[in-house]
Amino acid sequence: MRLEGAIDCDVHCAPASIDALLPYMDDYWRDYVANAGMTLSPTQTGTYPEAVSPAPPADVDALREQVLDPWGLQRAVLTCASAFDISRNPYYETALCKAINDWLRSEWLDRDERLRASMLVPTLDPEAAIEEIERIGGDPRFVAVLLPIRVDARWGTKRFHPLHEAIARHDLVLALHAWGRIGAAPTASGTTHTYFEDYLANSQSIAQGQVMSLVAEGVFERVPDLRVVLLECGFAWLPPMLWRFDKDWKAVWREVPWLKAKPSEYVQRHFRFATAPAQLPHDRDQTAHLAEMLGAEELLVFASDHPHRHGDGNLEVLLDVLGDAGRDAVMRGNAEALYRLAA
Amino acid sequence: MSSMPETAGAAAPPEAQRRVSLVDADIHPAPLPRHLAPRLDEPWRSRFERYGVRVPNPPQLYPRVRNTGYRADSWPEGGFPGSDFELLRAQLLDEHGVDYGVLIPLHGHSFGAEAPEYAAALCHAVNEWVREEMLDRDERLRSSINLPLETPELAVREIERYAGDPRFVQVLLPSGAEYPLGNRKYWPVYRAAAEAGLPLVAHTGGFEQHRGAGWPSYYLEAHVFYANAMIALATSLIAEGVFQELPDLQVVLVEAGISWAGPLMWAMDSAWSAMRDDVAHLDREPSELFREQFWFTTQPIEEPDDPQQLVQALEFTGMTDRIMFASDYPHWDFDSPAMTLPRAVPKELRAKIMAGNACRLYGLG
Repeated sequence: MRLEGAIDCDVHCAPASIDALLPYMDDYWRDYVANAGMTLSPTQTGTYPEAVSPAPPADVDALREQVLDPWGLQRAVLTCASAFDISRNPYYETALCKAINDWLRSEWLDRDERLRASMLVPTLDPEAAIEEIERIGGDPRFVAVLLPIRVDARWGTKRFHPLHEAIARHDLVLALHAWGRIGAAPTASGTTHTYFEDYLANSQSIAQGQVMSLVAEGVFERVPDLRVVLLECGFAWLPPMLWRFDKDWKAVWREVPWLKAKPSEYVQRHFRFATAPAQLPHDRDQTAHLAEMLGAEELLVFASDHPHRHGDGNLEVLLDVLGDAGRDAVMRGNAEALYRLAA
Repeated sequence: MSSMPETAGAAAPPEAQRRVSLVDADIHPAPLPRHLAPRLDEPWRSRFERYGVRVPNPPQLYPRVRNTGYRADSWPEGGFPGSDFELLRAQLLDEHGVDYGVLIPLHGHSFGAEAPEYAAALCHAVNEWVREEMLDRDERLRSSINLPLETPELAVREIERYAGDPRFVQVLLPSGAEYPLGNRKYWPVYRAAAEAGLPLVAHTGGFEQHRGAGWPSYYLEAHVFYANAMIALATSLIAEGVFQELPDLQVVLVEAGISWAGPLMWAMDSAWSAMRDDVAHLDREPSELFREQFWFTTQPIEEPDDPQQLVQALEFTGMTDRIMFASDYPHWDFDSPAMTLPRAVPKELRAKIMAGNACRLYGLG
């Protein structure tokens, strides 16, 4: 795959341990971490087992060596999902998010101008999340707010509308990323026994539930400028989901009178999807049909999801189907518009 | 029987004479409490009358903001949509010329998760009502067996009771249960179904514990997500190795759409190529297994703006010989057999979906 000049929307980094974050915590939390024996797994406990992923780069030199220099990327947007795997203490979650954001700023963004980052905000305390956006949202190198898809309450629910307003007010992107709180069962019937099943739940049900929620709850009528990107959630599943969504809305629109357009129109207008994991057919004709159903040329933004491995996704077939202009849009142009990266 | 042609050869048995052009694979009969109480032994009858049931019905969680969830014309005098055989016969079987109709009584979805013996008594009462008040009154009808699923040894007993009656053609599962449906807890039920030569039929509904993403607020979301609950069910059966244990088991996925299956199979194959030692019992691509074990029903079929895209999405599955027409009578989103499939669906495929595939699975015609 030609990566020269591309914008990579999902490159992972992670502190090697909690020790890397201690300089960015105050005395109370340093003491709390020591007394509780808090740890921070670079592979987010069971989220990224060794079999499918080595630990992400822990410093900018490793990232340059593994990704930035050999691939010739124009820009990379950092994802640090280390705060997804945490306790239920909302104040600790807030302290951890702030520490990670300051660590990202000092040890990554300040050291390589090709880098941008998604900021972390607490999931359990929307007011604290807004405060964190107010605190660092003025730094143009933070281009998105990272939220996990596995949470207690769907992101479209009313309690989060002020958070979405704050994201839009700062011209940031809402970045929904696979996985989330450990201990949250991925299915309506509870926990799974295999990683395979747990992993598939991200793309095949949970991420889709979040898209349904953001649209059905009227978030985009309330916050018309909000832009959303789905990271590491797949995208080939979108057309059938939208066909169901549009059909149901035509029948039960009375329940959601705030929607002024078909659900699929909100998705086309407000959502972009990262290309990893690709999860595409082998067959070129089928890929061409799918690309048309998706409107892939406008919908997709390139992501390597380094260092995670997702198997044979057949992305190259799709890029080939899209031709030179479509390929350039997916590899660079769409992300530039999404994150407002044009200088 | 009005739909039976008069021309068949003298030696052939009546069933073989029938030219089947329409099979409806999802019809919901609904016994009323006054139908069930007399079919319950004590102490269950008193408990039913005094305490009712503990497991809520999904409509209580997500009110249907469309004709209260039923076809507006399907309410019989003093009854409930689906409770009156004569109305069901007139509105569905006769009006649309249904050659065979497969009943799916949904009470088992909540009854089956009550206290063990109580659950068994309730499910048996439903099955008996279906047999006496529906199947015995019209030979076009077939049914699904309601089960006390969460108590597998009692569920097996209920399968054994009806396995000898050829009108009971499948064994009913909810899409949401106490455990993911691939869990070994349920394997004795699946083994009993396979040994009786009966497919499983997973119908949308049951427990709606929207863990993972959290709970939806509206029926709109809950209804769109039905497909995703079914995806979780199918993934669970494959991931847990049910089909290595019971290779002949067939599973019908009802009222959850179809078009998601292509993308699901691409995702499973892609994941399998990266993590096959996590599911070491899967000795070939999951899509290959999926295509050999699952069936679909049409209602509520997806409706892209360009109908040709529906045909393409069905072709993505590689399973067009495993899709069966369903009306979902008497629910609000009933699909008329005349209008379900867009004109873009080729004639030969249409004939398979409207009747041929169901005849093959259920041994009809």
